[in-house]
Amino acid sequence: MAVFRPGESIGFREQVVMKLCSIDMKTHQSAGKLYVCEKIRNSSELVFSFPGSWSVSDWFIRSPFGEVKVDLELFPSLKHIGLNEIATVNEAFLNRFRAILANTQFKKEVRTAVTDGKPVVFTGHSLGGPIAILATIWFLEVYIRPDPNKVAPLCVTFGSPLVGDRIVSHALRRENWSRYFINFVLRYDIVPRVSLTPLSFVEQQLQRILNFFNPRSPFYMQENVGEASGFYVTVMRNALSVVSHAACKIMGSTNLLLDTLSNFVELSPYTPLGTYVFCTGNGKLVAIKNPDAVLQLLFYTSQSNSEAVALNSLKDHLNYKHELQECLKKQSVTCLDDNHLEALPLSNDVTVEINMVLNDLGLSTRARLCLRAAGELEKQKKSNQKAIDIKMEDIERGLGKLQGYKKRCQHKVGYYDAFKLSKDKEDFDANVKRLELAGIWDEIIEMLKRNELPDEFEGRKAWIEIGTRYRRLVEPLDIANYYRHLKNEDTGPYMVRGRPKRYKCTQRWREHAERMSNESLESCFWAEVEELCIKSGNPSIRETILQLKKRVEQQIRNGDLDDDVFLKGSTFDKLLKEHSLTNLDQNDIFRGSWS
Amino acid sequence: MDTEASPFESSEMLATFLTSTPLLSMSWSLCDRANTMPSQGFVAEQMGSVGHLAFSGVQLGSGPDPTSGRNLEPLVTATNGLFFPLEHQFDGEEGGGEEEGKEPVLVHAGFLRIFLSVKSNPNFQNRMLNMIQNSKSIVIAGHGIGGTVAGLCALWLLSYLQSISSNISVLCITFGSPLLGNESLSRAILREGWSGNFCHVVSKHDVFPRLFFAPLAPLNPQLHSLLQFWQLSMTSPPLALLAEKLLDEGKSQIFRTVLASLEGLAKAEQGKNVTCGFWPFGNYFFCSEDGAICNDNATFIVKMMHSLLLNSSPSCSIEDHLKYGYYVEKASLQVLTKTSFPPAELPESSYEAGVALALQSSGIACQDESVARPAKNCLKLARRMGRTPNLNCANLAIKLSKITPYRAEIEWYKATCDQSDAQMGYYDSFKQRGASKRDFKVNMNRYKLARFWDNVINMLDNNDLPRDFHRRAKWVNGSQFYMLLVEPLDIAEYYRTGMHRKKGHYISNGRERRYKIFERWWKERPIKEEEKKTRSTFASSPKTHVFGPEWRKLESG
Repeated sequence: MAVFRPGESIGFREQVVMKLCSIDMKTHQSAGKLYVCEKIRNSSELVFSFPGSWSVSDWFIRSPFGEVKVDLELFPSLKHIGLNEIATVNEAFLNRFRAILANTQFKKEVRTAVTDGKPVVFTGHSLGGPIAILATIWFLEVYIRPDPNKVAPLCVTFGSPLVGDRIVSHALRRENWSRYFINFVLRYDIVPRVSLTPLSFVEQQLQRILNFFNPRSPFYMQENVGEASGFYVTVMRNALSVVSHAACKIMGSTNLLLDTLSNFVELSPYTPLGTYVFCTGNGKLVAIKNPDAVLQLLFYTSQSNSEAVALNSLKDHLNYKHELQECLKKQSVTCLDDNHLEALPLSNDVTVEINMVLNDLGLSTRARLCLRAAGELEKQKKSNQKAIDIKMEDIERGLGKLQGYKKRCQHKVGYYDAFKLSKDKEDFDANVKRLELAGIWDEIIEMLKRNELPDEFEGRKAWIEIGTRYRRLVEPLDIANYYRHLKNEDTGPYMVRGRPKRYKCTQRWREHAERMSNESLESCFWAEVEELCIKSGNPSIRETILQLKKRVEQQIRNGDLDDDVFLKGSTFDKLLKEHSLTNLDQNDIFRGSWS
Repeated sequence: MDTEASPFESSEMLATFLTSTPLLSMSWSLCDRANTMPSQGFVAEQMGSVGHLAFSGVQLGSGPDPTSGRNLEPLVTATNGLFFPLEHQFDGEEGGGEEEGKEPVLVHAGFLRIFLSVKSNPNFQNRMLNMIQNSKSIVIAGHGIGGTVAGLCALWLLSYLQSISSNISVLCITFGSPLLGNESLSRAILREGWSGNFCHVVSKHDVFPRLFFAPLAPLNPQLHSLLQFWQLSMTSPPLALLAEKLLDEGKSQIFRTVLASLEGLAKAEQGKNVTCGFWPFGNYFFCSEDGAICNDNATFIVKMMHSLLLNSSPSCSIEDHLKYGYYVEKASLQVLTKTSFPPAELPESSYEAGVALALQSSGIACQDESVARPAKNCLKLARRMGRTPNLNCANLAIKLSKITPYRAEIEWYKATCDQSDAQMGYYDSFKQRGASKRDFKVNMNRYKLARFWDNVINMLDNNDLPRDFHRRAKWVNGSQFYMLLVEPLDIAEYYRTGMHRKKGHYISNGRERRYKIFERWWKERPIKEEEKKTRSTFASSPKTHVFGPEWRKLESG
């Protein structure tokens, strides 16, 4: 277990962190300000620091967890692309961030910094942390996504509550943005853990606890041991529910009782995102990126047999400045990556080097087993990905064969209609290839659905590209097969009832990667044609057909679609003829190019 | 993707999850209240969207002593369809199923009578109706005999909710309850996917949950005083002291008999069925001063019952039945702390270490090798090799898409035969096939498809697939399509190889079991409105539909 200088291992400079921490502490004093913007001396960073808030309603907008689906206009990346699921975040935090965004000054200052090429840092302590996180995501969406060469932002939080669900964390990892978020958590600090508790369990106490943190409250630092300990036990108990449920899942438990129980318990949707740096309390830092492992640590680092821990769990929240000073003096940061997790020592034997710090975090054998499971799971996902990557060659080969088929059919009526008729051996061979490819892709989709692939998978260019090629080449065959067997009469139009997930999913990959605002349905062209053919007797569809034709011509010019759709005798050609929409010249040109 | 066992042991983690929730303490406190109010029989309480119900472990003058004898009776005949999902045999068996010695579902007659009398109580019916209307989930609990009533109530409720397609969740938590029914009951519950709805809390020494493993008839008077002692301890402790005196002799007799019977069961060879009439179902939550574990493997449960009792004593085994309040409270405090020290020698492998910790939590000290070793081995046996039915089903869907090309090749074979100049059709072509590469390939594909579908049937037989698998359109249609296309080839092969001379008619003697099953799925499939529309033309498949059965008859005629 190598010990690195902090700067090298997790991408921050200790002086900067120290400075950020002091700024954040100061920001709490500046009453009424939405944020504080400051330059760091002798350094180019521009720091935006967000103050915390000490009212319960700024944390939980409703019971039990106050989460809301994100607005994709504001955060277009915060979703699971393949499964088409939108991320949720804490609504109270989101509202506070929107208020800041509505402030034109803020946007202006950020824009100036970007134009000047200055690195921007968003930071916050306590309930300021979530605002810094949301601001950073917003910054990434607005500036980095269109232009990855711009100077990346940095987000540093101290004792921040959790902000979003696992889709947020998934999306940040997919976009490779996760590395810009660094969250410091003092070993016993209760605040990050409160997010795992349903509001109804702590509603009575939470305001009094917040008053304890509020420098302007008469109860500031006025400890009430009894209350602190009740609060600590409640929060820890709920945290344990969340982490033990998660641990059962990552350990691969298939017991049905697990699912039954989750219907009886309100489990927090929130999960950690980005890198977490845990402070041991005696000057050491442990950095960890695996979100499953961080979740486990949120419970286990604070698990204790001592009575005093309840009070520490409050005091620690105000102790970051002092603690970090100690840590950064020692400059001891241990990084636990997935390889380390998987082979973590189970006993607390001090002769093993890494145990010096694991023992300081107070990790029991059970805790270590959970961390191992988290590491093992990520390893499993990576090896699944490897297995899938190997199949890319098979896909490539299948696509090659079908490409050849398509080309040969261009001398006739086009591969769509040839396949629909399926008269020759060649058509049949194409059908076998289609089914083989479907098998591979369905497996990939199934793995995505079960979360068996690394978060990064859907962001990989090679897969997005081959997915698009696959969709454009093979989906017409699926449509041909659908209408050949008149499945539309059983189940309804292809687009409504028949379209396989493998095409919807790969389509969304491309739409997201290219930041398209409209659906890119070029591969479904034939389904549209078929539906129009069914209504063909109706003269009122002439206009629709004309529109379609214009769109198709545009898509051909863009290279999204091939011009063989106009081949003489194809279903589309017939439809155009029937409504006397053929453009003879053009048709000749296309025919000419193939003869 | 492969179905390999997880490298982690999660029995203890599952127990931790349950303990971290308020469910155990909430249920126990209701049971406790129900025990002190035996005249009512049950207590009900609504907490937000969760309904709580607890049955009293104290039964006043409820006719025959429930522990007398081992009177199991068929669940079906006695209850008039109240538990209908548990009744029907699984459709693996065609018409009556000749599988050897399958008992009907049996439950303890005495407990069933208590439940039926509670159920006929109008007060109970009202509360229940109310609860179903106002709850998203319902917890049903009970202590001792109350637990068996809770079990029956939960089974009835699950049956009822299934009949009205409600998605209310049901959880049954029992504390120190005796066994309720036989192995067929346990299997029927597994089949319905209900084993995750039952959690039986059993303390380290409590003899009551272990009682019915033993032949009890000779111990009747002792059992009677034991039951009386427990009931008095819950309702009027001073009188219990007197009852305890009466019991004195009986204690060790009961203890010895139960221990001996468990010994016999635990030592029984794996797979060899030593029957004791009763059999556990659902999850068992074994709790001790050192923690808890939760597992649903019946063999493991029986062995644990034995191992834990080895270190007990007659009086311990009887007093422990009254200590669930203590155990529940202790466990709920304990999970938050790091009390237990890890075993002196901790294995390096995650799995072995998990097993060692689990045993420690269950109260089997690791130093005691003679007890720990069998328990350890048994926990490893219980390690699940398979996945949940839904995961299996999803994997099967992937496999289906991989074998579809084989089917397509046969389709093509059929199409070319139909169109060829010989006008022979694929049935005759296949029957008279030569040694061409194409014929060979078709035959291979036929085998591959058969292997796939036989595997499906096999998984169904083993309960590895979802309960409603045979009603899902994807599988009903897929199997039907397969049958129409490929069965004629099987018939052709049957007659080609002269099997009809050896075995007789195809339909009565040669037809594979899979086709009989698929045919029934098709007949019993749910038909949607839109399917009733007639199609404008027939696609290729229904043609075989007409000819398939015809061929069978032609050849046999």
